[in-house]
Amino acid sequence: MTPLTETGSLGSSGALVAAILIGFAFGWFLERGGLGSAPKLAGQFYVTDLTVFKVMFSALVTAMLGAFWLDRLGVLRLDLVYLPETFVVPQALGGVLFGAGFLVAGLCPGTSCVAAAAGRRDGLGVMIGMLIGVWLFNLTFDRIASMYSATPLGAVRLTDLAGVTPGVGVAVVTALALAGFAVANRIERRRA
Amino acid sequence: MNRLHVALAIVAAFAAAAAGVIDRGSVDRSHPGARAAAIEFISAPDLAQRIMSGDRDLRVFDLRTPDAFAQFHVPGAHRATAASLAGEPLTPQTHVVVYADARPTIVEALQALEKRNHRDVLVLREGLYEWLSRVQEPRLASSPTPEERAEFERAAEMSRFFGGVPRAGVPRDEVPQGYWTGLPRSEALLMDAAVKSVAAIRRRGC
Amino acid sequence: MNRTPRPYIDPYLAGIGIGVVLLAAYVVVGQGLGASGAFASVVASGTAVVQGATRAAASPAVAPYLPHGIASPLQDWLVFELAGVMLGGFTSAWLAGRLRRDVERGSGVGVRQRMSAAVGGGALMGVGAKFARGCTSGQALSGGALLSVGSWIFIASCFAAGYVLAPAARRLWR
Repeated sequence: MTPLTETGSLGSSGALVAAILIGFAFGWFLERGGLGSAPKLAGQFYVTDLTVFKVMFSALVTAMLGAFWLDRLGVLRLDLVYLPETFVVPQALGGVLFGAGFLVAGLCPGTSCVAAAAGRRDGLGVMIGMLIGVWLFNLTFDRIASMYSATPLGAVRLTDLAGVTPGVGVAVVTALALAGFAVANRIERRRA
Repeated sequence: MNRLHVALAIVAAFAAAAAGVIDRGSVDRSHPGARAAAIEFISAPDLAQRIMSGDRDLRVFDLRTPDAFAQFHVPGAHRATAASLAGEPLTPQTHVVVYADARPTIVEALQALEKRNHRDVLVLREGLYEWLSRVQEPRLASSPTPEERAEFERAAEMSRFFGGVPRAGVPRDEVPQGYWTGLPRSEALLMDAAVKSVAAIRRRGC
Repeated sequence: MNRTPRPYIDPYLAGIGIGVVLLAAYVVVGQGLGASGAFASVVASGTAVVQGATRAAASPAVAPYLPHGIASPLQDWLVFELAGVMLGGFTSAWLAGRLRRDVERGSGVGVRQRMSAAVGGGALMGVGAKFARGCTSGQALSGGALLSVGSWIFIASCFAAGYVLAPAARRLWR
């Protein structure tokens, strides 16, 4: 039964080995898709290059459908997979800051590592910037601690809030993603 | 868009539609023969409220080692293992709460209860550590936020009921942290901290 | 190695590949991918080295990441995963002829400006990722696939901010 680490089949050292392998594959596909290139990523926000949207949402839908079906087929215990907690205001605020930073840097934390590994000094710059940002956050933590923990909802899914079943949620998200891909396709046709 | 894209989109749409159909309707967790239910948690303060209200149908099970249990356990809890839970006398009205210090133990226990069709099971999310931090031995930092102060006042009342010692004005690094303060979980940190708290309680001599 | 670099692959295929990798993470270790947590770990360890472990542990922001009986298995895992990401990115770039010491930037921008923007943008992301408990890999992708409410809030606000502020940053990417 999976997840392997949650059902005792894989220990902590095995998990770390898995981390490297999984990370390797992640970095591989990011680089292959061109996500190690800042101008390409920034193009998302100028609607000149919609690669970020395509990669992110096809990955999301793949994992979402895969997780749903593996769970239904009894291969994966989805309830044992770590679901992040929701903190409404901090995560909205974090998203805004992150989006601004992403726009200016052209790379996100994961892709900055890919860029740096391929020799791009700007990738390294983003990594250093990340360390500085985290360090600044830690320095001021006492003052922002209450904002940081505000509005917790616990670990909830959209389907819990909406009162629908997981299958319905999965179907809706997939439909939206496919619609988004169709729109992206139309936008690109018009530009060409 | 080429034929490959169209093919992939069709596969995705099919998988999604099948998901929606298989799961149609609103949330319903009680159909028999369903796959294992999701783990449901109870917070330590909620558990404390239930114990304080004298709920006769409440049974709390401690899944740790006998030594750990003997050192300290949630008041009113009984020691159990996945095997003993299989044969434990439970009525359909019994509300079961379990806690342990490792996830696989919880999973085994839940499976044992699931096998005998007892689904009214809640898990004390961060185990004894949460009980100690949020009920038994609450700590308030020296310059607390209003939320922290309110939470501490609630916890202090409960703590007195269970014979614990609430303490305010402690240095911030001695205030227990966990999911309820927005910080990440940490299994080893929790166990270590729980051990220290229990050692302090024993030194006081309850 | 100066041969013509190979073209990027179809973004949808890259996405499906990443989706399968993410699914493997759920199945093997019961959690999703991530990146920003690893940066937080590095800062925490650095803080402990510079300030001494006890002082560092005094900060509730830093404490969970410290190897004191090990901070959090989750954070350590991310550091190893990011190491893998760099290896994978390097190998792919190498085999595709894309290894290049370079500073990628818009055509109207000099190296200095670009590097400042990179560091500044990185710092904003560092702060944002702490508030959001993750970044595009950890929250948007991994949490999003699990339909976590906070992850979708993050996705929406991140993209909204990017699009709203894009005109102001046009000079960087022209």
